[in-house]
Amino acid sequence: MTTEFTIIAGGVLCLLGVGLYGLLTVRNLFQVIIALQILVKGAIIALVAAGKISGQINLGQSLAVTVIVADTIVAVIGLALAVQVKRLTGSLDVKNLATLRR
Amino acid sequence: MSAWFIILTIGLSWLGAVCVWLAGDNRPRAQHALAVCFSLAAGAAALALIPNTADKAVISLDAGSVFGLFTFVADGLGVFLAVVATVIGSLAVIFSVEYMRGEAQLGRYYALVLLFIGSMAGLVLTGSLFLMFVFWEMTALCSYALISFYNDDPKAVRGGIKALIITQFGGIGLLAGTLAAYVYLGDYQINTLLAKAQTLPGGVLSFIAFAFLFAAMAKSAQVPFHTWLPDAMEAPTPVSALIHAATMVNAGVYLLARFYPAFAEVAGWKTAVLLIGLITALLAALTAVVATDLKRVLAYSTVSQLGYMVYAIGVGGVFASQFHLFSHAVFKALLFLGAGAVIHATGTRDMRQMGGLRKQMPVVSVVFIIGAAALAGLPILNGFWSKELILEGGLENGPIWAYGGMVLGAGITAYYTLRMVSLVFFGQPQGKKQVHDAGSPMKTALIPLAFGTLTTWLLVGLFGSWLQATLPYHELHTMTIGEMLLRIASEPATWLALGVIALGIAAWLLRGRLAGLAPALSGFGRAAANGFGAETLNRGAVALTQRAAAALQVTQTGQLNWNVLGIMAALVVVLLVLAGAA
Repeated sequence: MTTEFTIIAGGVLCLLGVGLYGLLTVRNLFQVIIALQILVKGAIIALVAAGKISGQINLGQSLAVTVIVADTIVAVIGLALAVQVKRLTGSLDVKNLATLRR
Repeated sequence: MSAWFIILTIGLSWLGAVCVWLAGDNRPRAQHALAVCFSLAAGAAALALIPNTADKAVISLDAGSVFGLFTFVADGLGVFLAVVATVIGSLAVIFSVEYMRGEAQLGRYYALVLLFIGSMAGLVLTGSLFLMFVFWEMTALCSYALISFYNDDPKAVRGGIKALIITQFGGIGLLAGTLAAYVYLGDYQINTLLAKAQTLPGGVLSFIAFAFLFAAMAKSAQVPFHTWLPDAMEAPTPVSALIHAATMVNAGVYLLARFYPAFAEVAGWKTAVLLIGLITALLAALTAVVATDLKRVLAYSTVSQLGYMVYAIGVGGVFASQFHLFSHAVFKALLFLGAGAVIHATGTRDMRQMGGLRKQMPVVSVVFIIGAAALAGLPILNGFWSKELILEGGLENGPIWAYGGMVLGAGITAYYTLRMVSLVFFGQPQGKKQVHDAGSPMKTALIPLAFGTLTTWLLVGLFGSWLQATLPYHELHTMTIGEMLLRIASEPATWLALGVIALGIAAWLLRGRLAGLAPALSGFGRAAANGFGAETLNRGAVALTQRAAAALQVTQTGQLNWNVLGIMAALVVVLLVLAGAA
């Protein structure tokens, strides 16, 4: 249990860390969406692992499936928006979207 | 049985709102007919609740562990206000048939009016604090949308937004009180709060009491939050009648009356309520003296009469305050709808451009004068009896100076009422336009209200015993009609109040000879026109908010990376708090 748990926890933390680092640093919209995907994959693994550890495997896995569905929708809408942003502003830099600022 | 009538009272109004909306603006006749039918049906359902009152929840839906039970209780207080909202609301709808004829976007108008009436009925019938808050906010939203109904007029939009912002302050108070009650009682039920109020820690109970008082002040337009109500006069006149008589402003007084048994023992609460009522009644009456816009005079008179109701609660007279609310709802609806008929005919709201309408609008002038006499507190109209009950309760249980202030307020009320009536209906005609009397839909709405103004005081005994039977936590000082007649006729206080009212009337009749006083009062007139500094307070609050927003603008970079950092920081804070709590 302990080795297995350590490996999973390490993997989850790596994925979460990479995802968050990406969200904080990149400005290309496609890279932002990819970073978000990496982050969510870490969360999904964490859900499955938590289900196994707490003995509620079914709950953990069904939550994971739910997150996969929600995450797919986020990715699809995000990519669709990215295409529109590219058409509208000519670039994928999120800095150009800060138009609400006076 | 009563469960169905509750569903019908709220549901028919809302169903009507949807139907009118779906009917489409190119079929105005169908919209008028649907709105009238649904509002009358909701009124009938509310009336059918009267013989079916009960002090226990008649509808109880389990909404999960977070929201608790969604209950509806058909007790006397709730049913009474639901009847006021739906019946007077349906008269305002009937009146709208003529007043709003030919206006664009009738669907939006009627849908909002019906939603408003249904929300108000829900607000008073629900037994759950959480649902009460939801309905409370719905009424605020509807009032905002209706005040700004003429959305191409910047003044109307400004008035609507002002009403929304100020009543939102009250909403925050209600929410804070509700959450505090939930934390300590584990339950949103109003009856739980009433039953267990004394087991709460003293500080918590005071917090809830003053939070609810704050909510009531904003909703019922008490000083210093009264400024939204006169600005709400940009609304179509039936909507003004709805806000002032049937819905909205009654909610604050209802809140105070509903929770009076729980809060009466809180140190300083009753005194605060009494003071707010006194100051509001006096300042609003004084402002009404200098206003020249017919609807604004009526608006300030509403603020002032609400002050009387709040004062009555402050001296423990819950029954007197509700009885005055009843009288006020009837005569103020009459006055507003009468004023609507006048404005519809003359095309102006400025009283200086009216005058001499008595001959041209005989029916409207008679019913308006009946309503005005009730507002002034002249016997034997309903306003006289209920105001006298409040004043006598104040003399018996309150400080004498507050009583003196309220009697003075009654005199000022008589003065501005007479001024309004004589400017509009007597004297020489000022307008050049040929005016005509109200049409039949307007008369259909006005005549029952005039009849009610003459007769509703006869119901005092029934009303009292009915309220008493279904309100287990309230100790009401009710009386039969005979007792009321005897008491009011035998108390010297009545004759004192009548004397002051007569003085007010005499002051208007002798205004020519009192003209020497005018320069002395001019500074006062300016202060009154400025709302006694309340507008300055509003402007200060707005300026402060804008300055704070400008100062905080640096935090809004609009860049995704910074926003993610903010979200992460918030997450860390939440995790730390949770770890600290665990």
